[in-house]
This record gives sequence, C-alpha cells and structure tokens, in this order.
Amino acid sequence: MKIENRRSAQIVALQHRCGFYASQRDLVDLLVPMVGAALTRGSTVALAVAPETADAVEEALGPAPQLVRLSEPGPGCHSGQTLAARRARELRELTALHGPITMIAQHRSELDGADGAFWTELDAAYGIALADMPVELTCFYPELPLHQSILDGARRTHPMLLVGGDPVENPEHMSPRSVLAEYPAPSPALLGAPDLQIEFGAWQLNEVRDELERALLSAGYGRTRAEDFVLAVNEIATNAVEHGSPDARLYVWLDGDGVTEGAVCEVHDRGTLRDPLPGLAAPHSAEPRGRGVWIARQICESLHVWSDKSGTHVRLHAGRPV
Amino acid sequence: MTRTVEDMASFDSTVRHACAVAVSDEHLWELSSAFLSAGLAAGDQVKYFDDGTSDRVLERMFDDGVDIDASLASGQLEVVPPEATRAAILTPIDVMRGLVDELIEDALAEGYSGVRWTGQLSHALNRPAGMLDYELMLDAAVAGRPARVLCLYDRAHYPDDVIEDMRRGHRVEIETTTVYDDNLLRITSTGIGSARLAGEVDHSNRPQVRKLLLAELDRALRSPTGPHEIRLDVSSLRFIDVAGAVGLVHAAEEFPSSHKLVLDGVRPRVARVLDRCGAPFASQLMTIPRPDRPIPSTAGADE
Repeated sequence: MKIENRRSAQIVALQHRCGFYASQRDLVDLLVPMVGAALTRGSTVALAVAPETADAVEEALGPAPQLVRLSEPGPGCHSGQTLAARRARELRELTALHGPITMIAQHRSELDGADGAFWTELDAAYGIALADMPVELTCFYPELPLHQSILDGARRTHPMLLVGGDPVENPEHMSPRSVLAEYPAPSPALLGAPDLQIEFGAWQLNEVRDELERALLSAGYGRTRAEDFVLAVNEIATNAVEHGSPDARLYVWLDGDGVTEGAVCEVHDRGTLRDPLPGLAAPHSAEPRGRGVWIARQICESLHVWSDKSGTHVRLHAGRPV
Repeated sequence: MTRTVEDMASFDSTVRHACAVAVSDEHLWELSSAFLSAGLAAGDQVKYFDDGTSDRVLERMFDDGVDIDASLASGQLEVVPPEATRAAILTPIDVMRGLVDELIEDALAEGYSGVRWTGQLSHALNRPAGMLDYELMLDAAVAGRPARVLCLYDRAHYPDDVIEDMRRGHRVEIETTTVYDDNLLRITSTGIGSARLAGEVDHSNRPQVRKLLLAELDRALRSPTGPHEIRLDVSSLRFIDVAGAVGLVHAAEEFPSSHKLVLDGVRPRVARVLDRCGAPFASQLMTIPRPDRPIPSTAGADE
C-alpha cells in the first residue's frame, strides 16, 4: 500500500476571513501591504472591490500582471448566491491557470437591497461555492454599515476574523446552512403580470418545455440559447415536482424584470428546502443527484432560490436574447 | 393477417395495401418513415400526403439515414401539400380511382419501379360516405400493380370506433414490436444488445431507460455470441434531462470492463447535456454525433 503525504504549504481549501475598516482611506491602508505581501509571495490576487479601491491599490503598488479585477456585479445583481456562483466560475479559471488565489472583497452599499441580507447570503454562499477551492478570501466590511444585520451576518459567516492584521478564530462562526436558517435568502422584488403561466405536475414537464421553448424562440432567442435555458428551467421544475409538491407553477416574463433585459422565469412549489442554497457546490462525479441545479446555475444569467411559508421559489434570468 | 413494415418493403411482397395503428406520435413517424424510406431504397416514387405532419416525418426519415434533400430535389420523394391532400380526399370515388391509376402510370413513365404513398389522411373523417368505399377502391386499384399504400391511424386523429372499423376493413395490418411507449418516449428493440430511443427522456420516464440498459446488458452477457457494445440509436431522441444523462454516464461506468455503451446519432441538444454531465470523461461511453438537420425545406410549402 502506498501512503501519500498530502501535506503541503499551499492552501488547498477556502480560507474565509472578515476584516473591518473605518473609512475608505483606512481600507486602502489595510489593503496595500496585504496585497503587496501576497504578490511578493507569488500569489495571484483577485479584487472584488469598488473601482476606486482597486485604483488606489494599483496606484500604490504599481502595475502587476498578477493583480486581477473580478467582474463588476452590475445594477441587476440582487442575488448573493448568483454572485457567489459567478465568482466560483471566475476563480475556478484563475486557480486552474495560476494555482492558489488571494481574493479581496469589499462591501458595497449599492448591493444592500432593502436590509443588507444580500451580504449574509453572499458570504454563506461563498462558504459553499468556494469550499473546495484553494482561495484565501478576505471580506472587508465597514465598521458602521447602514444595516446592523450586515455586521451580524458577517460575524456568523466568516470562520476567521482579521484583528490587527492577524487572522484569529471567530467564536461566533456558524455553518453556511445554519446561518441561512436564521437569515434566509431575501425574496426578489415582485414582477408584474406574467406573459405565460403554467401549472404542472411530474407528467406535464414536456408541456412546460414546449411552451417555454416556443415563447423564447418567438422572443428572439437563438435555438441553442433557448434550448439551454429550457434545460435549466426543466431541472428546476423537475425538482419542484420531485421534492417539492405534486403540483407546481411556472411564470414567464419575456421582457425582463425592469433592470435586466431578457426572459425571466419563476418556479414555485409548496415544499420546503432541505438545502437552502442548492446547486452551489460543484457536483461530485459519483453523486447522481444535485447536478441539475448546478448546471442550471451555469446556464442562467442569474438563479435565485428563496423560501417562505408558502413554499420554495426560484427565479431564473435567461440573459439578453442571443 | 399481420405483417411488419419490412415485409411490405420487399420488392416481391404481394402486399399492396395495408393499415397500421400508431400508439403514439413517435410510432406514427416511425411507421411513416419506415414505409417511405424503404420505397426510396427500392426505387419507387414516394409520396407523402401531408396534413400538418410532414416536418416530423421528414425529420424521422433524416434520422433513419435518408438523404431527404436529394430525394425531394430529384422528385422521387414528394410531399403533397395539405390543401391538395384535403381536396384529393374529398373527390368522388370514381374520380379518385382515376387519380390512383394516373399516379401509377406517371411513376412508371418517369422510370420508377413503382409508386407508394401514405400520409395524414384524417380529413377523410369529413367524407359523408365514410372511408370504407375508399379502401375497397384502393384494394381493386393496386391489386397486382406496382403500387403500395399504407393507411395510418392514430388515436390523436381518429376516434377509437373508426380505428376498429378500419382494422376490419383492411386484409393486412402492419404490426411493430414496442418495448416501451408512453407517447413521450418510445423504445424499440433492434437486436441483441441494441435498441432505439425516440422522443424525450425526463422525470416521467427516466427509470425505463435504466431498465432497458440493464436488460440489454443482461441479454448481451448471456448470449455466447453477444456483442461487447450495447448500442442505443438516439438519433430520434430530442431531449434528455440532467438526471437522464447522468444515468447513461453512470450506467456505462458500471458496465463490466469488457463492455461499452455506444450512443449513436447524438443530436447537438442531447450532446450538450451529456457533455455537462461528464460523458467526455466516461471511458466506457462512446458517443457518435448526428448532425443537426437544417430547417425542413418543405416548411415554406405548407404555409
């Protein structure tokens, strides 16, 4: 029997920390030495911070090819789990190319939504989506955010806190799923009357696919894009009738949600979620279940799952017609 | 008397006029294509009397390996548009007899070995005289002549009592063996260790595919001369969901190492799902792609 030594100096799984800052100036002063040290170590640094923060760090350190800016969340970003899934895709590419990544994230009040629940959802989702990735993620929050719940959430979602520049164990840390049981993913803003509404059971999934595909093709989607989005909705609809309730409902809006263009679908069932954030972890090849939602997340521009006393709800954005 | 479509396909078959009852849409396309494709191969002129179904029949013929565009271009295959089909159905019986004679003579004059036709003829339900006189006329018109007619009935277009009358009104009924058919997915056996899937695999019928694979593997393993490949013809499979695709990948991985699962004729839509489900990394799974068929060239003619 061969015993392999799997210890290594390199990080092999997510290290998730939280730091706090008093002002924008204070944040830049914290970041410059931290990013500088990571670059000196040879690590690639991925920034998910406000553009002015990234500008200030770059200005202080000079141009470096290992300093990467992750994509901007955009005005339509209301779903922490969607942003976490997108970051996971970006980081998967970066780690494949460059090995372990140091990632710096910054709170941005424009994504707070009504009560700041976005951030707790995002950090809980990071805990799942990045769990098996060699990423050292430090999230910076203002000491005095507009919503107190943002700090309450941050103190639960991060296993480590940065105190005086050093990581220390966070005694208040909870698993992502326990956090979400306490602070559930927020429901998105209500949309108007849908263009299409279908009630379905397990034996009408083909009708759901046919009607949705026709609607998407008539709305200008190309065949491949329409087929892929139909697959995503089929997977969510299948879960709804398989694990949720015997009957479920699909709503379709073809003209976007007022912020983002493109078709929007919602699937509602009356069941309860066993996993509050399904489909975030990359599926294991030996595990036959759980792949549907993960694939749906890869296909959709955004996929937001939330639940309340009426059941489980999923909103999917197809993105602009192509 | 029951026969298979293959019986009717052979050139020296004496069967000229038969009926078949389709249990599902997929079965209907299968029967239509088998009959028409065999005619093309035999050198017959082939006509499909359309009434809104020709796109699906042509798609199935493409799946079955027919070069439809070439056959349509040469005129060996003709799709009779719905208006013409309906008008022909409503002509008086003696006029219709003349048309049938003309069809046969024209085909022979153009150098074809004969003529055959089928189609979606449910407009005949509107004939005041019913449909039996038409069947009797056909019997007489094609007897001993190089013409073959397949009358297709399906429950979506015909009431049950009419179908029973028509079965009694035909001396020959074509039968096909079906492994499974739920009107969404149709499975037919194509030999030891091989089968064909047509339609869609989703939550409602996924276990049937698994059952089929286990049964085919078992048959192949038990037969001393059994094949080392379990071959699924999926050229008519239009949709598969994620769990269905994962099921195929896993089934192949669980085969004994001596055996492989071959998916033949994978459409791009199905291929994209398989790719997302790890098919490229499954060493015991082989996929052979089917090119995507362009929009049917007769689509405009139906408008």
